[in-house]
Amino acid sequence: MIYDFFELTTQAYTVALRDLKRFWQNIYWLAGQVAMNIADLLIFGLIFRGIVRPDLIPDYIRFITPGILCLSIFISSFTIGREVGVELRREVTHYLVSLPITRGALVAGRVLGGVLRGLMYQVGFLILAVLIMTPPTLDKWILILAASIFISVTMSSLSITLVTLTRDFNIQAAIRSLVYFVFFFMSNVFYPERALRARLGPVAPVALYSPVSMAVTIYRYGFGYSTEVDLVFNTAGLLLWSTATVLLAYKLYIRNLRR
Amino acid sequence: MRRKAVEIINFTKKFGDFTAVEDLNLDIYENEIFGLLGPNGSGKTTTLLTIATVYKPTSGDIYVYGHSVTREDYEVRKLVGIAFQEPKAMWIDKAIDLLTWHARIVGYPREEAKRVVREVMELLGLWEHRNKYFYQLSGGTRKKVELAKVLIQKPRIAILDEPTAQVDVLSKHALWDVIKKLRSEGTTVIIATNDMFEAERVCERIAIIYRGKLRALGTISELKDSVPKGDIIEIQVQEELRDREALRELEVFGRVSVNSDMITIYSDKAEEKVVDVIDALRKRGLQVKRIMVKEPSLDDVFTYLTGAKLRE
Repeated sequence: MIYDFFELTTQAYTVALRDLKRFWQNIYWLAGQVAMNIADLLIFGLIFRGIVRPDLIPDYIRFITPGILCLSIFISSFTIGREVGVELRREVTHYLVSLPITRGALVAGRVLGGVLRGLMYQVGFLILAVLIMTPPTLDKWILILAASIFISVTMSSLSITLVTLTRDFNIQAAIRSLVYFVFFFMSNVFYPERALRARLGPVAPVALYSPVSMAVTIYRYGFGYSTEVDLVFNTAGLLLWSTATVLLAYKLYIRNLRR
Repeated sequence: MRRKAVEIINFTKKFGDFTAVEDLNLDIYENEIFGLLGPNGSGKTTTLLTIATVYKPTSGDIYVYGHSVTREDYEVRKLVGIAFQEPKAMWIDKAIDLLTWHARIVGYPREEAKRVVREVMELLGLWEHRNKYFYQLSGGTRKKVELAKVLIQKPRIAILDEPTAQVDVLSKHALWDVIKKLRSEGTTVIIATNDMFEAERVCERIAIIYRGKLRALGTISELKDSVPKGDIIEIQVQEELRDREALRELEVFGRVSVNSDMITIYSDKAEEKVVDVIDALRKRGLQVKRIMVKEPSLDDVFTYLTGAKLRE
């Protein structure tokens, strides 16, 4: 049993390392992404700071920063899906499924690859958040790290799941955009909960139960933007999202790999 | 009694309505070089990919050292290594990175992986290409990288899908030696090929597959002996043979197969019959361009069994 677990961990880690190495190979693409995320932060933060009603959001740049943290995870963790998609189209997946590793290790490795991409990419934005917002205490750092892990597991698994639905690159790209729209437009990233409830009415809970909203809520608490947060609900919710998406990724990835 | 390395039982594989392999039954013995011979699209690759647990059988099963590819796929993968027909890699990968990662994932510790990768790359003449990206490699070099994976892995069963396709003639001979060495070190080798020269040169037993069905199985000499009346008269005529009567007259000498302007007669005592054959054709107004008497090759065996040429 212990040997099996050790074997699975080693195999998954080796698979993840391959994905991580590829991530750093696209260094110019990465630089472009980072620049875009920082631009998002500045454009949204600085411009909307003077436009949005101060009674709703007193400081928009402090409000949007946790959202950008979440966005950075989305951008980086979702790249694993893009790669899995290319591999499916070029049948490189035949090679992966023929390797002497378990299917579980293969899926875990791919998801872990996405998680590591997300966490590493996010480091720079976390530093930025510390500079812009209130530096967290140790217990809040643990909470922030947990949220980052859960949301990157969710995004990574979700990207793998979605990309296996079709081998058509155009549809894959469209799905990715749709996911961005659903998870970020319908979340508390850009607008506060009050505005969401007022505008979305009965649909508002859907936005608040999204993994992005849950992670952003925890980030806002961790960086001292908000104080009254239901930590149990949001952490448990994120855990649930990540577990569900991992299971889904496992099921669909394997089903599509081995015909 | 020889031990079975692979046992294929009533194996059928369908993709939608298309049947790629139908009711295949086959045993491959430990430590032999076994060839799957057939034209493109005959079901060779589908069979190999199923042994490697990439595909699942639609019905029937395949056992690798007693482990079912359907139910014990992980156990099977521990025993099998495959070099794909189309090299499988992302274009931004460097040859050395690909192989080093492969060595790590098949279980080598870091330093040992580096050593074995260098050893295999040097053996296959790949070391000078080690830092090239995959898209910068020629087709033949990519095939060598694919073969290198198997040599690094040293599996109990090595599956090589058209291992020398796109490889130059000189390298082909070197690769055949490498494949034979792999076997001599205890590995069972399964090769899919449509190159009958390769099959004759390397394989000890051969299965001829055509349109998803097994047509013949045996050693090379057994297969050649399966062509009745051992000799072959090959005649090239000036124009395509359309005269049914002429064809019927030729059947007096043996079984006749016509492919465009080539007439093949499977016969015995061919030397004695050549003159009569030419006379029969002349009487029908057919000009003989070239005539040859020979022993059957695997290509002839294939043509005899299927009525088709290996390279369609």
